[in-house]
Amino acid sequence: MSAVSEAATSPAMRTREATVRRFAFTDMVFRAATRASAILVLVLLGGVAISLIAGSWEALSKFGISFLTTESWNPVTENFGALAPIYGTIVTSAIAIIIAVPIGIGIAVFLTELCPRPLRRPIGIAVELLAGIPSIIYGIWGLFVFAPFLQTTIQPFIIWLFKGIPGLNSLFAGPPYGIGLLTSSLILAIMVLPFITSITKDVFDTVPAVLKESAYGIGCTTWEVTRRVTIPYTRVGIMGGVMLGLGRALGETMAVTFVIGNAHRISASLFAPGTTISATIANEFTEADGAIYTSSLVALGLILFIITFIILALARYMLLRIDSRTGA
Amino acid sequence: MKPMLSTDLNVADTTVEKAKIEIKNLNFYYGQSKALKDINLSLPERSVTAFIGPSGCGKSTLLRVLNRIYELYPKQSAEGQVLLDGKNILDRSQDLNLLRTKIGMVFQKPTPFPMSIYENIAFGVRLYEKISKAEMDSRVESALKRAALWNEVKDKLNASGQSLSGGQQQRLCIARTVAVKPEVILLDEPASALDPLSTAKIEELIDELQADYTIVIVTHNMQQAARVSRQTAFMYLGELVEFDRTEKIFTSPREKRTQDYITGRFG
Repeated sequence: MSAVSEAATSPAMRTREATVRRFAFTDMVFRAATRASAILVLVLLGGVAISLIAGSWEALSKFGISFLTTESWNPVTENFGALAPIYGTIVTSAIAIIIAVPIGIGIAVFLTELCPRPLRRPIGIAVELLAGIPSIIYGIWGLFVFAPFLQTTIQPFIIWLFKGIPGLNSLFAGPPYGIGLLTSSLILAIMVLPFITSITKDVFDTVPAVLKESAYGIGCTTWEVTRRVTIPYTRVGIMGGVMLGLGRALGETMAVTFVIGNAHRISASLFAPGTTISATIANEFTEADGAIYTSSLVALGLILFIITFIILALARYMLLRIDSRTGA
Repeated sequence: MKPMLSTDLNVADTTVEKAKIEIKNLNFYYGQSKALKDINLSLPERSVTAFIGPSGCGKSTLLRVLNRIYELYPKQSAEGQVLLDGKNILDRSQDLNLLRTKIGMVFQKPTPFPMSIYENIAFGVRLYEKISKAEMDSRVESALKRAALWNEVKDKLNASGQSLSGGQQQRLCIARTVAVKPEVILLDEPASALDPLSTAKIEELIDELQADYTIVIVTHNMQQAARVSRQTAFMYLGELVEFDRTEKIFTSPREKRTQDYITGRFG
């Protein structure tokens, strides 16, 4: 009996071994291909960094550290400083995030917890469509519709409202141009809102039903469940959404270029025109005739690259710290 | 063949005991499909009642009616009456948050909240009571002692609830439920995800808790039902087939379907 079965399996075993060898080969190819893809990312990242450094070398070696601390940007005297664009980039992105995060989380909570079922899809789709609008459209809408609206209604009102209050009166000082830092921030907030909303909504959907049920089960209201269970449970995901939004806001070029005013100066007032790194590069690359001018613009690019890198690193570090504190 | 109305017998069996929860002509629907059919049942105060039956028989559904947690899902609806101390909790005027502080629930899978062990318990208490830090400390301690978890966690109350083992997490959930001082505790297969040792601890705990609470437990494990409960309800296909004292159900059931199920002939 056993002899018979051995004789029968031995050719079968041989084909099986051949199959296994073939598997081993495809497996090896697969492994090599995935590894190459992963390495490609590092190569690309390194390549971008190196070319940015190389391109900006001339400007950086001429101006040194004062490139970061000089406000003036004068193509005629070929004297360049990046402070104004850096300031504009950080301020507009920060305000955009401050506005967009609560609204985005609010929409996500409404959609996942409170929204009547028939409304859920239309609102969800509308939010995603917002992400699909090309930034140039935000730009022209911002310039021709939104900025004049702000100029004639909101800005005069706010200037009047905060006139006597120290601090706020210089933050919101006139004249109302319409275009400026705050207008850019608002446009950016609208642009990053769909990212924050859809990621937050997705991570809210990952909260186990039983976890929410048990919170409701000890008598929580929807607000308490959201604040104490849903948001803490999903904070890593929400942070991810916020960082993605921030990345978009920092790098957004077209819409900002339209409405920021493109003035290389730092003003206390958020209503004043300013500029951002990407807006400066987009605006001036075609007219940069001298080598030092071009190199200064590339240096701006390098700075944006570094800012984005630092922000992402900070986000990682924050998440790490939160996690180690709660032991989750 | 119509099953004998179990409440008739139940009255005879437990006349001395006050009914904490009385379920009258309860029907339950998932959309169009009827999941519970005309349930009549009376759960005596300060004792353990087990719901047993094959998967899909409606025992978990029945449990989820008792604190109206099913209302989180728009397509589910119940009709009939569920009287808690004589007051119909299915009434529209019933405040759900208040109801759920009176009727606590522990789920099949441990569900620690994303916060520290201490906060897991303090959180629920703080929702409805304003008490001092010292009072809260003693409240947390007594709840954890109640759930036989204190000795294991007293040195790491600030650690995350999620860092505990599965069995500890489940006892944390029981402690959390006990801490808000409910009157009824619903347990939905509380030990099915746990190892035998943790299961034994949970069962011991259930046994102690019945001195103060009315407990309802859904379980797939018939030995468990036999060990922990005073009365057992056997359900099948959305109907209550038989309800009686536990030893009667397991030794001389009236219904053939009960007999078949507990002897393992189906389900």
